[in-house]
Amino acid sequence: MPVAVGPYGQTQPSCFDRVKMGFMMGFAVGMAAGAMFGTFSCLRIGMRGRELMGGVGKTMMQSGGTFGTFMAIGMGIRC
Amino acid sequence: MEEYAREPCPWRIVDDCGGAFTMGAIGGGIFQAVKGFRNAPSGMSHRMRGSMTAIKTRAPQLGGSFAVWGGLFSMIDCGLVKVRGKEDPWNSITSGAMTGAILAARNGPVAMVGSAAMGGILLALIEGAGILLTRFASSQFQPGSQFEEPGPGPAPIPTSPFGDYRQYQ
Repeated sequence: MPVAVGPYGQTQPSCFDRVKMGFMMGFAVGMAAGAMFGTFSCLRIGMRGRELMGGVGKTMMQSGGTFGTFMAIGMGIRC
Repeated sequence: MEEYAREPCPWRIVDDCGGAFTMGAIGGGIFQAVKGFRNAPSGMSHRMRGSMTAIKTRAPQLGGSFAVWGGLFSMIDCGLVKVRGKEDPWNSITSGAMTGAILAARNGPVAMVGSAAMGGILLALIEGAGILLTRFASSQFQPGSQFEEPGPGPAPIPTSPFGDYRQYQ
């Protein structure tokens, strides 16, 4: 539990909490971005049907992981 | 972007540029370490050396391109703040799109439009996530909840306790 108390009496998030939150947020943003761009690029190279679903899912996970890592680092260097 | 969570305008450019460089260098270091480790010939010393080489060649490059993006982004952001006289998510989205367009300017108009759309969509997603996060956090967390179970307690305070989360840029 964080021990620092904020100006309104609630607890301030600790550093690790912020990094975790940054990762979650980056993961969500990356999943959304990967869904959009992955759909376009998979349709362009001619994937259809079940194959398309797999391709889009893979792109979503990849970009979510990348974004999440970078966002977590971005939070980590500022606290 | 929250006004209270970021630097005032002219210094924001330096702040964003340096932050983006650090972020790109560290993140690039992590990813390139894995990549260099996997692509090197087998044998532990080869793998370690391959990983070091990949980090040394690629991580500063990635940091540099992050820094260019961040610096140009906040320059345009500050310009828009000055011109429009207000600070809202549209500033970020517009400057993301313009940054994408400017950085792809040497590749022709088609690449500029594509890159601008990508930057704009990306920044719109980030801004939307920030707004959603702030709204969720301010409705979820209530004062005094560190002593008891968070339940139907007193009314939530108007300001978000997690506003600081949005200074990731």
